[in-house]
Amino acid sequence: MALLARGELRSILQTQLPNVLDSRWDTQATDQVEAHGEGQTVLLDFDAVVKAEAIVEVAHFVRDTFGYDFLSNITAVDYLKQGLIELVYQFYNAAEGGPDLRVRVRIGRSPEECIVPSLTPTWPGADLQEREAYDMYGVVFPGHPNLARIYMWDEFKGFPMRKDFPKTGDKYTHVTGE
Amino acid sequence: MLKTEELQINIGPQHPSTHGVFRMLVTVDGETLVDLKPVFGYLHRNHEQLGEVNTYLQNMPFTDRLDYFNSMVNNHAYARTIETLAGVEVPERAQYIRVIMDELSRILNHATAMGFMLGDMGAWQTALLWGMREREKILDMFEYVSGARMMCNYCRFGGVVRDIDDWFITELKKLMQGLPHYFDDFEGLLLNSEILLARARNIGVLPKELALAYSVTGPVLRGSGVAYDIRKAEPYAVYDRFKFKVPVGTVGDVYDRFLVRIAEMRESYKILEQALEQLPDATGGFINPKVKQQSLKAPAGEAYARVESPKGELGFYVVSDGSGSAYRYKVRAPSFINLSALADMCKGYTIADVVVILGSIDIVMGEVDR
Amino acid sequence: MTLSHLATEDVFVVERNDADFRAGQGMTKGLGIVFRKFRKALFGKPNSDRADTEGQFNVQYPEERLAMPEAYRNMPILLYDDATGHELCTSCFQCERICPPQVIHITQAKDPATGKPVPAAAKFVLEYDTCMSCGYCAEVCPFDAIKMDHDFELSTANHPELDVDYNRLLRPVSYYETIAPTMWSDVKEQAMKKLQNNIKRRPGDIGRDHGQKIKGGAPVAAAATPAAGAAPAAAAKPRGPVAAIGKNMPEDKTAKLLAIRAANAAKRGGGAADAAPVAQAAPVVEAVADAPAAVSAAPTGPVAAIGQNMSEDKRAKLEAIRAAKRAERGE
Repeated sequence: MALLARGELRSILQTQLPNVLDSRWDTQATDQVEAHGEGQTVLLDFDAVVKAEAIVEVAHFVRDTFGYDFLSNITAVDYLKQGLIELVYQFYNAAEGGPDLRVRVRIGRSPEECIVPSLTPTWPGADLQEREAYDMYGVVFPGHPNLARIYMWDEFKGFPMRKDFPKTGDKYTHVTGE
Repeated sequence: MLKTEELQINIGPQHPSTHGVFRMLVTVDGETLVDLKPVFGYLHRNHEQLGEVNTYLQNMPFTDRLDYFNSMVNNHAYARTIETLAGVEVPERAQYIRVIMDELSRILNHATAMGFMLGDMGAWQTALLWGMREREKILDMFEYVSGARMMCNYCRFGGVVRDIDDWFITELKKLMQGLPHYFDDFEGLLLNSEILLARARNIGVLPKELALAYSVTGPVLRGSGVAYDIRKAEPYAVYDRFKFKVPVGTVGDVYDRFLVRIAEMRESYKILEQALEQLPDATGGFINPKVKQQSLKAPAGEAYARVESPKGELGFYVVSDGSGSAYRYKVRAPSFINLSALADMCKGYTIADVVVILGSIDIVMGEVDR
Repeated sequence: MTLSHLATEDVFVVERNDADFRAGQGMTKGLGIVFRKFRKALFGKPNSDRADTEGQFNVQYPEERLAMPEAYRNMPILLYDDATGHELCTSCFQCERICPPQVIHITQAKDPATGKPVPAAAKFVLEYDTCMSCGYCAEVCPFDAIKMDHDFELSTANHPELDVDYNRLLRPVSYYETIAPTMWSDVKEQAMKKLQNNIKRRPGDIGRDHGQKIKGGAPVAAAATPAAGAAPAAAAKPRGPVAAIGKNMPEDKTAKLLAIRAANAAKRGGGAADAAPVAQAAPVVEAVADAPAAVSAAPTGPVAAIGQNMSEDKRAKLEAIRAAKRAERGE
């Protein structure tokens, strides 16, 4: 049970659970973001990027091995240019305190790819956050007991926080979007 | 042969004890609660997307509207996130001012939260108005320093918008003269009241392990016996310079959460005393003059900063693409995530306990629905 | 659970009362406190200090008012110079750009002869209904032209009228000086200097052709209807959209109203028997004008400075109406 420095989990996973890391991002481990200008989106490769199907295994691993038992925050980010949706899981060590441990999952934006196993069976606190990610970004969480829309009404079409969702226009007022 | 039948009923969205437009779809067997499904979204305004459209500074007043009891804390958390993202230094005096405002917020929040909870129990209005009265005194001071009572919009990147002056400090000292009496009165009023004990003891029990798994934070987590306070676990601002204790409960019921809140108010009082003592003079300034507030651009990257809001861990996760507004802006709202434990806390208790348990979580719908 | 980030002395377990139920002792104790407070509230002095936890705390709102701190912000207003009537706004669009809910709409004035832009606003519309009172416009304004008003009684049954245009946004600098003396004195010099520079670049009446003020700076309403000067209706006084009765209505209606009021005032003046009500009616204008001054008195405690203006104002109005009726009846 010890605190991990940022980026340390990545090397630990490489030796202990080599199959869980997402091979698309295991070549570069740098805290430097990609070359950017205004309007560019960034993908940080510093933290461990794991395969979607391995997230449950990794979450249990960090909890049981290092005591990161407190799943604080799940954030979905839509990287439209890269065609990715990233889920950032932030774990804390309740006993040791200290900063968070970020584990990332990167999946495609199409309905077939946008699937991540649910953490709700172990961390029921993930329940509402996963529902929010589903409602706003369309990420499907198999294993979730009640994956329904949380803020929007059930008949709503589309995922409003995605970057390609029209920001103006409304079918009820017959104003078309951009 | 007689048998009972389960019945589904709606509590809310417009119900006096739901603390806002919040709906609970409960399944009851007689008086006993079998299942509870919280239904959200009645106050949803896509706050997070507003944060992506607005510039960093423009978003500051919108954070006031999250947890509208503690806009000072919301401002602080948001300002801290952007300061982390853009690498802005904050003068020491501003840090102290922020701490003072945070702790005042904590006192007013707990005073009213307990008042509302006791109101739910049937201690109609007396306790609530006592809470409101203390809150009123503090809000007057917020109004003086920030210009508004609730929608303070007080923090800026690298400091605060207006310095506190002698009037504020004098009034704060006067307020603090009265606070211990207030805490004593509040405790004496109801703490040992038989009705409160009957309604609060061993009601809505959330065991320690479950509390952690549910990611609850703040007084709910500490009431369950986990001594986790961000001010201690990951000290921000100048919290590492103060001596204060973290109160924890043992059982994790409504009563423990109630006690933890009272104890936290007393701890906040201690922090205020120390902060006033240590408050640096105005020579260091109250805002970093180098920061371009209106045209602030953060380098591409991401930042997460959290503060111990009176309701729990309030964090902002911001991804920047190098432009003047956030690429992704996510709010980790404490009362939203604390609500995920509601169903488990309520199961097995009677329907009259549900409103009390909800009151003991202390939710604000502005933050839950965002 | 061992918590290594916390020293043991930093944690304490709250003390639970796990005793069995007694016969209402706890409740009696609580009721004792309530009774003590109740007695103090009933017979005690009104609360005057933030340290007090007993006594009367109430402020009877419409009659009594709390002092507004200078920094208080409700809705934005635009300032104009009393002496010249020139508006301070130069339509630099800073406020329009920063406004988080995007409710400020400015059109820049153009020189009719050359077509070149002039540092003045031709139109200025502010949607009060959507304004979130964040105060950014006042914060960013480099010319100190837009400020936050203290008037909060803006409720109306007519929603569209909350799109407030230039004419209803304008207040003289002297008004702002009364509500926020130190904040204005901090910026007064530079604001006036900038204004003088801008006046030089404004041809003709551009920059002072809005609102009820004329070239000399004297208020239009008072000059045009001298009779109304005595009546409390005179829209000359700078008192927010609510108090200025004529402002929300179409012009012809306003004129009619003023005429009626003037007639009433004349009637009242004619009735010698009603000297007392007239004397009471006359201070109304003063009372209203004084109101901001009373409000801006040093912000001491919550209850200390209680402006009694509202009740007086109301009483005076009531008296005026009664007097008029009496005059009609020929008493």
